[in-house]
Amino acid sequence: MILQDAKTLLEVKGLHASVNGREILKGLDLTVRAGEVHAIMGPNGSGKSTFAKLLAGHPAYELIAGTVQFEGSDLFALTPDARAKAGLFLGFQYPVEIPGVANSQFLRLAYNTVMAGRGKDELDPLEFDDLVRERMKLLEMNPNFLDRSVNEGFSGGEKKRNEILQMALLEPTVALLDETDSGLDIDALRIVAQGVNSLLNKDNAVVLVTHYQRLLNYIVPDYVHVMEGGRIVKTGDRSLALELESRGYDWIVGAGADKAVTA
Amino acid sequence: MTTVAAPAAHPYLQHLLEGQSGLAAAPTDALKALRAHALERVSALTVPTLRDEDWRFTDLAPFTQKRFQPAAPAPVLDARALKAFAPAEALTRLVFVDGTFQPEAGGAPSGVTVTALSSADAATRARAAALGTLAGFEHQVFPALNTAFLREAALVLVPRGVAAAQPVHLLFVSTQAGVAVHPRVLVVAEAGAAVTVIEDYVALGGTGYCNNAVTEIALGDDAQVKHYKIQREAPDAFHFATTAVLVGRNARYEGTALSFGARLSRHDPLVTIAGEGAACDLAGLALIGNRQVADTHSTIDHAVPHGESRQLHKTIVAGGAHAVFNGRIVVRPGAQLTNSGQQSRNLLLSGKARVDAKPQLEIFADDVKCAHGATVGQLDADELFYLRSRGLDEVAARNLLTYAFGAEVVERIALPSLKQQLAQLVLAGTSGK
Amino acid sequence: MSAVIQNLVNQPYTAGFVTDIESETVAKGLSEDTIRLISTKKNEPQWLLDFRLDAYRHWLKMEEPQWPNVHYPKIDFQNISYYSAPKPKKLKTMDEVDPELLRTFEKLGVPMNERAKLAGVAVDVIFDSVSVATTYKAKLAEVGIIFCSISEAVQNHPELVKKYMGSVVPTGDNYYAALNSAVFTDGSFCFIPKGVKCPMELSTYFRINTQDSGQFERTLIVAEEGATVSYLEGCTAPKFDTNQLHAAVVELVALDDADIKYSTVQNWYAGDENGVGGIYNFVTKRGLCQGARSRISWTQVETGSAITWKYPSCVLIGDHSVGEFYSVALTNHRQQADTGTKMIHIGKHTRSTIVSKGISAGHSNNSYRGLVKIGANADGARNYSQCDSMLIGQSSGAHTFAYIQVQNPTAKVEHEASTSKIGEDQLFYFASRGIGAEEAVSMIINGFCKDVFQQLPMEFAVEATKLLGLKLEGSVG
Repeated sequence: MILQDAKTLLEVKGLHASVNGREILKGLDLTVRAGEVHAIMGPNGSGKSTFAKLLAGHPAYELIAGTVQFEGSDLFALTPDARAKAGLFLGFQYPVEIPGVANSQFLRLAYNTVMAGRGKDELDPLEFDDLVRERMKLLEMNPNFLDRSVNEGFSGGEKKRNEILQMALLEPTVALLDETDSGLDIDALRIVAQGVNSLLNKDNAVVLVTHYQRLLNYIVPDYVHVMEGGRIVKTGDRSLALELESRGYDWIVGAGADKAVTA
Repeated sequence: MTTVAAPAAHPYLQHLLEGQSGLAAAPTDALKALRAHALERVSALTVPTLRDEDWRFTDLAPFTQKRFQPAAPAPVLDARALKAFAPAEALTRLVFVDGTFQPEAGGAPSGVTVTALSSADAATRARAAALGTLAGFEHQVFPALNTAFLREAALVLVPRGVAAAQPVHLLFVSTQAGVAVHPRVLVVAEAGAAVTVIEDYVALGGTGYCNNAVTEIALGDDAQVKHYKIQREAPDAFHFATTAVLVGRNARYEGTALSFGARLSRHDPLVTIAGEGAACDLAGLALIGNRQVADTHSTIDHAVPHGESRQLHKTIVAGGAHAVFNGRIVVRPGAQLTNSGQQSRNLLLSGKARVDAKPQLEIFADDVKCAHGATVGQLDADELFYLRSRGLDEVAARNLLTYAFGAEVVERIALPSLKQQLAQLVLAGTSGK
Repeated sequence: MSAVIQNLVNQPYTAGFVTDIESETVAKGLSEDTIRLISTKKNEPQWLLDFRLDAYRHWLKMEEPQWPNVHYPKIDFQNISYYSAPKPKKLKTMDEVDPELLRTFEKLGVPMNERAKLAGVAVDVIFDSVSVATTYKAKLAEVGIIFCSISEAVQNHPELVKKYMGSVVPTGDNYYAALNSAVFTDGSFCFIPKGVKCPMELSTYFRINTQDSGQFERTLIVAEEGATVSYLEGCTAPKFDTNQLHAAVVELVALDDADIKYSTVQNWYAGDENGVGGIYNFVTKRGLCQGARSRISWTQVETGSAITWKYPSCVLIGDHSVGEFYSVALTNHRQQADTGTKMIHIGKHTRSTIVSKGISAGHSNNSYRGLVKIGANADGARNYSQCDSMLIGQSSGAHTFAYIQVQNPTAKVEHEASTSKIGEDQLFYFASRGIGAEEAVSMIINGFCKDVFQQLPMEFAVEATKLLGLKLEGSVG
């Protein structure tokens, strides 16, 4: 929701970035305030995923110009794990598998590390077990998932739910969810969206990077931005998303946008 | 002018070289140079023994104890004699009898050149320039011998963008006793071309002979080649084969090798993934009994990134036979995003049967998927029980499952009549007591 | 034992120092005279001298093996001193041990004092080819267990040594075993009599001190019917520029229903980043499952050595006997390892399990070479092998050579192998969850090696993870 006098959580100005030597982001501006839900949409290759990964600190992406302030501080001055501790969360489009490392083990370590970084208490295995099971109920996840290796042998839906479970545990201030809806059937989509919604409050914000409109039926955005050629070329409210659904991207893409780049 | 080569280091090789100096002069300088170089290599090499790592499980004594003669002029075989081996789907056939080309009626699929080297005109020979460039022989005595004797070859040349409408059948028939023959094949599929080639070795009266074959296959960008190699040599014959394949960008090579005959057979498939996006899919089946030895030593070399390879090798070993498999996969530095899988499955049917399997991986790039597995064992007890619960007796159930084990490889043959023929062979070979 | 490993792990080679103590070193070079000299110095009986000479004569006729996937400058066997010991003294009690030596042990954290007694660990310390003191000998003697140095065993239990030495690894078995059989100076001897379960983990401790003094340890462990023992081996060595040779032989014999567990955490000096100065570790380790239902289990964590050539093996003669091999081999910088195992199935209904995890980082080369051999009479044999490689960085190599030789139709052999990596993507995933690179690597490695670590005695398991983490510092990302 859009709140009066809400704190600015994320301020992106004139962002230019490249990957493998090719410039993908070409001057991106975005302001996200507390309590807001933003959706970033756009055709393939527009740079949506690049934006999310860049903010989280993926080593393959290079900042060329521009600034990003996260809660008033320079985000790029922080290492990726410091950004996580500071309250930034990235829900991956393709979460990696980590065979041999049990989910319970990984989640507990992430939780304790991030909480310690915020000056909060760590939990012992039993306490953590209670916490994680509670959060798992939210996402209708089977408790036996805790013993499995991280993302190994998971279906697409299970991987995405695992991402949201992590979001639920780490309680970020700004969550960037990269195509969280891709590969999900209706039921999984509903559960994931429910999970995200239940985590939203007036002090945090979420940025949904998505190609399709349907996620936005469940997680209602305050702002919808359309990216094309590495920049945001149009911003509107949720009705913009509906218009894109019926008309596609072409009507925006023509006007004043750069040549499409394949990321 | 051919210079007289120094006598071979190894007396056995010297005897095998009999007749080489009597070969007709090579039609091109390139071929002349190739032969000379190969001859030099044969003279420097020796016959491998059990002390050589690549031959440590395969005893060549039965081979080296025999004396072979160069083939005499071959009899002309008529169509009826060959009928049994002619799959209906392959209208194009090249027949070589004891190494001699026997021209037949029937042309090539449109756009494709299918001819013997001896009948090729200069233009065709120019398009076959790859001959001798893919199969190395610096350290390998069998391809070196073959190349030293190179005077005839089956050529299948498919130009850019041409998809051969029917498969091409290359039939090598042995009718004589105790002769050494060196069959040679070259398949060139240019960019975007597609063809299916059957390389078929059969005996019609031949006994105790040796076929030492070399097959070279080059795939240009986006080309597709399906290659079926079928070995049905006489039970007391010897069969050595090198299949060297170069797979270009986004091209796909599918090789299926079936080994039924020969006292001792050895096949070295060597596939190089030479272009990004190239793929190879190899399958092999050795179905042997009595005291046969079947040895496959394969190498799949991922020289560039984004390559894919799959390999399935199966052996069914009965009587006192011996199967050997060495599956080497190399992933060179920088060959990132290689995706390679290899399975070696072996079934021993008797107390005297023996298998030596050696999966071998040499990996120098980290962002790769290389999984391999090998099993030696029996038929699955659950499957056996299932069949018996449906009324089959023990022997019938075993035979059926053993047949199914081998049939998986035969299934890959996309020519129904040939597949049928081979399935019968597998059935016959798995109908034991 | 935890204290010992702490010292090994927490500092980068604090053990890189030389003990300044009078050492009696025999002149370099190897000949029949050297061997007679060693035998005389040790007051050995004739049969043992004959054993040595026989091995030496075999060795002269043999050639250094060429086939391993490793490369190293030729070793000059004449440029090594084959015997080096502190000045001979009678060492019956701890008080008589040279104080300088004791200080060395202190530095290394060897528990030769009251703390060790409470921990209940017996230690047989080997210092430069002569066993200095053996603790808890008496305690073990109460239950009839003999745990002492080979030299002592030759004097006090010659019939046992004569019966079993060379029965598992014959003198002509391979080049390094022949050399060892000729010039071995000392090692551990352990004998567990019928029905006795050894009440404590046994361990021994190696050290190579003098420059150019190769070390030729010989260990013999015999477990009679129904006996069990768990033996730990942990190693360290000082820093030197010339490569040091370590060619040990370990023989294990398990009779009916006996169980021997042999664990190693090896931390030999690997050479610097450019591969200069590390240890060459050429070891022959073999276990004979002589008796029915016997079991021999090898567990190892190999992280050191410039060159490692080692194939702990099991010969499964007894019906229903079991052989196991669990290994983590890590190579970094310019290390080379060619290691694996041999499981030889001879008896009926034998079983073997192989779990090998190879980690290659830096510019190293890590090869697994395994043999599973099922003899013609090995009815009902079963083998399961899992060989996984983890590659870190783009300059290392991971290789697998798996030999499977089967001559029995009722045997079942299953072999699986896979590769994985630790790279940017994995580390970024952890980082995005607040977990730094070092911890991420540690967690991933631990997950990768889990199946092996859980075979280690507890105190080793905890330290093994730390040791691996230490060895991989700076190699990822």
